[in-house]
Parts: sequence; structure tokens; C-alpha cells
Amino acid sequence: MTKIHKQESMLVESRFLWASIGILVTLSGLLFRLWYVQIYQGDYYHEVSERNRVRKIEIPAPRGIIYDRHGEVVLGNSPFYDLVYIPQYIQDRDTTFKILSRLLHVPPHRFETRLEMAQGQPKFLPITLKRNLSQHEVSIIEANKLFLPGIEVRVAPRRDYGPDVPPHLIGYLKEIDPEGLEKLNQSAAGDNPYLIGDLVGKQGIEQRWESYLRGKRGYRLIQVDAFGRQTQGFEENGWQFPSVPAIPGSDLELTIDKELQKVAQDAFNGKNGSVVVLNPQNGEILAAVSEPGYDPKAMQNGLSPEDWRRLQEHPFKPFLDKTTGGEFPPGSVYKAVVALAALEEGIVDSNKTFYCPGHFTLGNRLFYCHERHGHGTVNLLKALMKSCDVYFYQVGVELGVDRIAKYAKALGLGQLLGVGLNMERPGIVPSSAWKLLVHRFPWAAGDTPNVSIGQGYDLMTPMQMANLYATIANSGKVWRPYVVNRVTNHVGETIYEHQPSLIREVTEIKPETFQMVRNALTAVVMDPQGTGKNAQVPGVTVAGKTGSVQVVSLKKNRNQGDVSMSWKEHAMFAAFSPAENAEIAVAIVSQNDSVGGGGRSAAPIAGKVIAAYWRLKDERAAQIANRAPAAAGSPQAEAVSHEKQEKAN
Amino acid sequence: MRSKKKQTEGVFLMPEGDLKRPYSPQGVLICLLFAVLLGIGLINLFSASIGASFFWTQLRNLTITFTAFVAFGWLIPIKRVQAYAYWFAALVSLLLIVVLSTGRIAGGAQRWINLGPVSFQPSEFAKLTVVLCVSRFFASNRQDAPYRLRDLTPLIGIIGVIFLLIFAQPDFGTAGVCAIIAVCQIAFIRVDLRSLAIVVLSAPIVAAIGWNTVLMPYQKLRVLNLLNPNLDPQNTGYHALQSLIAVGSGGVFGKGYMQGTQAHLRFLPERHTDFIFSVFAEEHGFWGSVIIFIGFGLLTYIALDIAKHAKDTFTGLLAVGLGTLIFVEFAINIAMVMGMFPVVGIPLPFFSYGSSAMLTVCVSLGLLISINRNNTGVSKR
Repeated sequence: MTKIHKQESMLVESRFLWASIGILVTLSGLLFRLWYVQIYQGDYYHEVSERNRVRKIEIPAPRGIIYDRHGEVVLGNSPFYDLVYIPQYIQDRDTTFKILSRLLHVPPHRFETRLEMAQGQPKFLPITLKRNLSQHEVSIIEANKLFLPGIEVRVAPRRDYGPDVPPHLIGYLKEIDPEGLEKLNQSAAGDNPYLIGDLVGKQGIEQRWESYLRGKRGYRLIQVDAFGRQTQGFEENGWQFPSVPAIPGSDLELTIDKELQKVAQDAFNGKNGSVVVLNPQNGEILAAVSEPGYDPKAMQNGLSPEDWRRLQEHPFKPFLDKTTGGEFPPGSVYKAVVALAALEEGIVDSNKTFYCPGHFTLGNRLFYCHERHGHGTVNLLKALMKSCDVYFYQVGVELGVDRIAKYAKALGLGQLLGVGLNMERPGIVPSSAWKLLVHRFPWAAGDTPNVSIGQGYDLMTPMQMANLYATIANSGKVWRPYVVNRVTNHVGETIYEHQPSLIREVTEIKPETFQMVRNALTAVVMDPQGTGKNAQVPGVTVAGKTGSVQVVSLKKNRNQGDVSMSWKEHAMFAAFSPAENAEIAVAIVSQNDSVGGGGRSAAPIAGKVIAAYWRLKDERAAQIANRAPAAAGSPQAEAVSHEKQEKAN
Repeated sequence: MRSKKKQTEGVFLMPEGDLKRPYSPQGVLICLLFAVLLGIGLINLFSASIGASFFWTQLRNLTITFTAFVAFGWLIPIKRVQAYAYWFAALVSLLLIVVLSTGRIAGGAQRWINLGPVSFQPSEFAKLTVVLCVSRFFASNRQDAPYRLRDLTPLIGIIGVIFLLIFAQPDFGTAGVCAIIAVCQIAFIRVDLRSLAIVVLSAPIVAAIGWNTVLMPYQKLRVLNLLNPNLDPQNTGYHALQSLIAVGSGGVFGKGYMQGTQAHLRFLPERHTDFIFSVFAEEHGFWGSVIIFIGFGLLTYIALDIAKHAKDTFTGLLAVGLGTLIFVEFAINIAMVMGMFPVVGIPLPFFSYGSSAMLTVCVSLGLLISINRNNTGVSKR
């Protein structure tokens, strides 16, 4: 049997002995080394690890700086001091807290809650007890450091919010929560993990560009004794501790104009809603305001639960970015779409008239015009200029909802614009199929008149509204709005550059049709009888459309004065300037406006923004002209020439 | 022939004749060691991965790797393994090429393949491939005369391709382990003395050329660093030094579970993967470590014992190779942690975090059990 065995296996039996010897020798070698390190030299290494506790000091990286289109700093950083608690080095927690509370005049239970929040994390990781210490507090803590082992003051660069940082657009920073930490570290962080206490972007650009903005933390190692004081010792033996400098985050260059943003913010002050300013030539967002806002500084420092609840329960939702996430019925602003559809479908031409008696009857339902006495006989120009509802009721009924929807979709409505900021909403372009799908109810004929004046089911975000008017201004190019123009890393290399991209080109509508609607919209503002005359800007042409959206049907009670806040009309205004080859498109949405409708409340704001745009352009051109005397003609002159062209037409 | 008689009796009672199978302590011992080492390894990983989710990920991956252990141990016949050995080699080579071309950059080298939620390291499987290839080669090319270099050319070709593919990642450590395993396996075969002499004499020349042309600067630094730890303490020496302090400070009985300061102060780099033994040695001291040494020594000895009683060349060489695989990884890793060997990125079986390495170990032990079952008669009909 052994013979068979040998024949089958070619393994040389004597080698097994050698192998066993080899294993034994290796094992004894390792065992000897283990004994040598752990027992013979054990005390030495034990001492090294005990006495020479090395502490890793994290060097936080500053976030990237956010610049506006002209290189002005929108949001930068400055150093802040934090009080930090390292559980491992704490000897007597209660005494420590007692001392701290006496030094800083903070009740000890505040510290306890901070500790409870950080429960379960390893003992060597610091816990932030108090953020943003004043210089005075820092010096007090440093002076009493001997009595406070395990307590440290750490300096960290943090966001330095000025008074007019747009909170929704820029976003805010918040301490990372444990679940988010896990998720981020598994998905995106790579070799630069997040730690508890790190601040992450929670909204707007800070969130969307988090991976670019956040830097890479560095660290250095120091040696400390049992009291947590820095010592020398290990380094004397010739060892150098590694230290890695922090790498700052990448800087963003926005398309925002800081000055214009401030003007828009000031002009809109006191209202709830949103202002969006776009460049119709490429989709750059020049300004974006969403009101009411919140204080990003307070968010960074950590909000008390009461403040948080107060913000959450605010009726106008301060956290919602209304520029892309707020959906509003567009009101009469939508009439431009209906006008484009009707012209393109041949239902009306510029001469076709309807008679407006102040109301419109469809079946047994009565639809009122906002002007109860009627506009008389109106053609398209007049209908838009005076915002005649009856004209558009009739046009809308003749068009039918699906044909309106076709053109609205062609203009890019009812779908996400892809700005990529915050919770973008697509809006709603109602159609008969949509209603059947969503409401499980067929389209009723009575729905159409409402839709054709932008009420009822229609919903649009302010960004879409601005983009719609930009599209009308540039004769059918639907640009994708964008806000970050360029990203440069800490050594100044450009690592991202945005190329303007078209969402679609509107081939369904002829340029002449756009021209006709543009002329009508110009009349809305430039004509002394137009509803948008408050948006007039001396020296340039402005084209636009007002909108006032009834929130509830107020039958006969048209006196807005004594209606409760949440029942007041939304005031809308969308405009572009100049009327031909527009450089700026503006959309204003004021929720439940207390002043009045679009013409009275929103149009003046648009006027201010447009005026500021030309003024700023003028000033900048003058600045350049001062530097180089042989500069080109001022924008004012250009604007005037546009106006002349317009009149010649 | 006595057994044959028993077999027939057995057939009368039960078709497989399992009742009369001679008792084999090896299989039971392997299962026992598997459980003990894996248990200690997991408990240790829990301590090493505080503040991170490595432990839970490892536990989750264990369900897959344990299935592989059972499958290779009891379900897949060893003959099937032999038949598919080359196919497996081809697959792994393909994966290695994929890694080279598209692999995820991590840890300074391209070692991973990322398939959505799972990412794996084909170079870990390559060790197993080498074991299988060598075994299969000698099983299919048997000759009575000692093997000459000429006879071994196809084998050297296969191993060489795998070696170079791993080396190019670059993963010097894994490539080296593959080579060592192959050499150890071939050492159990009669090889022509003259061929051996040629190889041994040319080895220094190849090594010298390799040092000057192939080795990456960081790999050279690691080797030099071993010779003189003070050379570059900030980078390469730092790992070795911190790990040495961790092991040394453990002392006789260690600092206690979850009490290791070195490890928990985050001084130990890679403390959940390559340097995991330093966490264990710091927390459990000399006697704790001795238990681990005994465990691995016993496991290797059992593998050799199984190889000794193997019925054919394939199973014999396979058992030798698997034993070598586990022992070499163990020895290199421990030597590395204790500052006796350059830092080469070899995981410690059962202890290190990483599903690919764990899968390799589980499959290895499964195969050993399968070989043992093959030895003790199930298929001896």
C-alpha cells in the first residue's frame, strides 16, 4: 500500500522534515524577537509609550474663498477660537467643568449636553465645548491651563460672514451629524475623512461644491506630559515628528455681481419671495435673492433648539431657497407664453381684437378681468400692456390647454433647469394628460381660462420665470442658469471652468413671433399706460410683464388692505433690458405682497435692479476708461442707441 | 485491502461507507483553529476600528467568505478544483490586467477593482492561483526523472506572468509572497541539481539588476529603512517605529482589551489592516501573542501533515502550498510589525480587515479540509 501511495504522490517525504524544521526555526526566531521586544525591552517601550504621549494636533484647512464675477470677496475666512475637551486627558470632569463655568460664566450643564451629544466617540478625539471664544476668554483659559488638563483652545479658520452674504445662494455650514459623517466618509471623502465636529456645507454653493471648497486637513505631532503640557524628549533622541500642512480648499469664482446682489437685496428688503437676475446671453446668474433668509453665522456657531424651531415654524420658510425651490403661480407673467403660442398657432395676429367687458363667460362660469369695468376692444399689444385677462381667457380657450403646454414645454418650463443648487423644483405645466395622471380627473373646460392667465395649476419657480424672459429676450435660446464660473485650487490652477450650455433651442417659435411679443412687452413698461411703467429706467428700454396672483378668490372684496397676510396677492414682475439684445433679465416674486400687485410692488424693484445694472456697468467702464483713456464707448451710449433703434422700428 | 472489505460492508449499510471512515483529528482541528483565530481576529478588529465601521463591514463580508469556506470544504470535490485550476489562473490574470488598466488608485498603487458596492483585490486571489497552478502543473506533468529547468519552463512562464502583473501594480510584497510560495512548493519535488545550481547562482545577478531597474524608490527606501531605521523617520520609518513601540509597550500581559494607547491614539497607521498585530500585541502582551503563534504554527503543521498523507501529487502539493501561504503571510506580517522586515503590505490572515484576504484564507482552509476528507477515504473506492 505504501508503494501505491508513493507512486501517486510525487512529494519527497524527507522534505517534510526539513519543512517542519524550517517552520520551527522561523517560529522560534519570531518568538525570540517577540520576547526581546516585549519582555527584555518591554519596560523601555512601555515608558516610551507612557511618558511620551504624542498628541496629534489637527490643523484645520480653511475653506475655499468665494469671489464674485469681478473678483470681490463674497465670503472669506477668519480665525476663530474654540474651547476643546479631550476626554482621555481629563482627570476630574466635574471640577474641570466647575472651573470652566466660573471662568466663562456658562452654566456647567451646557457643557454636559455637549458631551452627551458626542457620546460614543473614541476617548482621544476632542469635543468642542464652546465655539468662538473672545480674545479675553482665550487669555483666561490659557492663564488657567495648569488647572485644566485636557482642556484646550484651538484655533480654526472659519467663515467670516459679512452683512450681505446671500444665505440661500451661498449656503451655510453646520456641524456634521454622525450619520452624515459615516455616509460622506464612505462615499466621497477618500483619504481626507471627515471628523466629528467638522463643518460641512448644508445649502447652496457650500453644499453643492463641498468637495472643492473643503480643504485637506493637515496635522502636526507634539509630545505632551501627563498634564497635557508640551514637552521635548522624543525629539532629543533624533526623531522628528511628522507634520503635514493643511491644504486650503479651492476658490470659487461666481457669476454673481456682488454690488448688484446688494442692490437687489436692499430693493427687495421687507418682502417675502425672490429676485433672480440672469444674463440672457449665456445663463449667468447675476443675482439671486430669497427672502426671508436666516443668519448663516448663527448656523455656523450652532443654533439653539428654540431658534431652530422658530425658523422651522416661520410661515415663509426661511430655509427654502425660493429662487429654485419655490413654486409660484406665475400669474399674468405667463401671458407672454400664451401670446407666443397663440401667435405661432395663428389664432391671433397683432391686429385681431377681442372685446373685454370686464368678464368672460364659459358655460355657466363667470371669469372676471382684474379691471372690472373692462378694457373695451383690445388687440394683442393692448392686452399685454394692460394685462387684459378677458383677451387671454378667449385666446386660451381657443388654443386649448395642450397647445399652451406644448409651447410652455418648448420654452423649457415644467422641467428642472439643472442649476444644481438646493432643492430645485420643476414647476408645473398643466395639460389634460397631466391632470388625468395627477388628479385622476379629466380636464375641465373651466380650467383652461385660469391656466391661460397663469393661475390655477400653473407653477413656476422665480429662476424659471427669469429664464423664460431671457429666452424671449434672446429669441429662443434656453440657457442653463449657472452660478459658478470657475474653480481654482490653492496653487491657482483652474480645475473647473463652466461652459455655458443650452438646455434647448426653441425651434417651434419663429424669431418674428418673439419680436412681436418683445414689442408688446416693451410697451408694457415703456408706455405711460402700461401696467409695468414703474419699472422704467431713464436712458434704456425695458421690456417686461407684471403679474398679480390672487391667492384666494376674493369675489367682490377687492380691498387688499383688510385681508389677512396669507391671503394677499403675490406680486410678480419679469423683465429684460434693453428690449433688443438684452443683457439682463430679472424676475421678481413677492409672496403675499402688502403693497399691491406686480405693477405697484414688484415693478419698481425690477426698475431699481436694472438701473443699478446699467449704473454699475457704466461705472466699471469709466474705471477702465480712466486706466486706459482710449476705451470704447460707454454702455450708456450703447443703451441710448438701442432705444433709438427701437423707436425707428 | 482490509479497508476494501470494510468498504463492502459499509456499502451494505450506507452507500458512502462513512460510518467506518477512520477518525481524522486534522479536519476537526482545522475547524477549531479556524473558529478560534477568526474569533480572536474579529474581537481584535473591533478594538482596532473604534470610530470606524471596519468591524461591521468585516462581519458582513464574513457571511460570504464563510460560505466559500463551507463550499470548498464540503461541497466542491477536489477533483473539480484540479480540473478548473488553469481556468481560475486565467480569470485572475484577466482581473489583474483589468486592475492595471482601470483599477482604483488607492494607497499609492492600483490594487483594487471597484464594482459598485464591492471592491476587491485580485492580487490576493493571485496567491491562491499560484498554489493551484504549481499543484496542477506537477499533477499533469509527472515524470520519474528529476525535473530540469527545461521541464519547468511552462510553469515558470505562468508564475512569471502573474508575478509581473502584480509587480507592475506595484505590489512588491504580494508578488514576493507568490514567488516564495511557488519556490516552497517546488522544494517538495525532485529537481535536477544542476538546474537548481544555475538558478541559485544567477539569483544575485537578477536581484542586483532588479534593484537598479525595477524597484520603485519607495520600495528601496523601505528595504534600506530596515537596515537603518533612523534613515527617514518621518515617512517610512514612522510606521515601523510606532508599531514597534506599540508591540513593546504591551509587555508580558498587555495593557488590556481596548486599552492600547498607541493604537487608539491613532499613531499606528493602517492599524486595521497590515499593522493589526501591533494592536493585539499591545493589548494582550507576550502571552497573548504566543497563543497566536501557536495557533498559526499548529495550522501550518496540520497542513503539512495533510500533505504528507495526500493520495496524489495535486492534493499533496496543494496542501503544502496552502500551508505555506498561511505561514508565509503570518511570518512576514509579524516580522514586519516587529521591525524585522520591510513594510511590504502583507495582511495577517484572520486578523486584517479586508474581504479579499479573508476570502483567500477561508478558501484555503476549505481546500485543506477537502483534501483531508479526500485522504481519509471518501473517494477511495
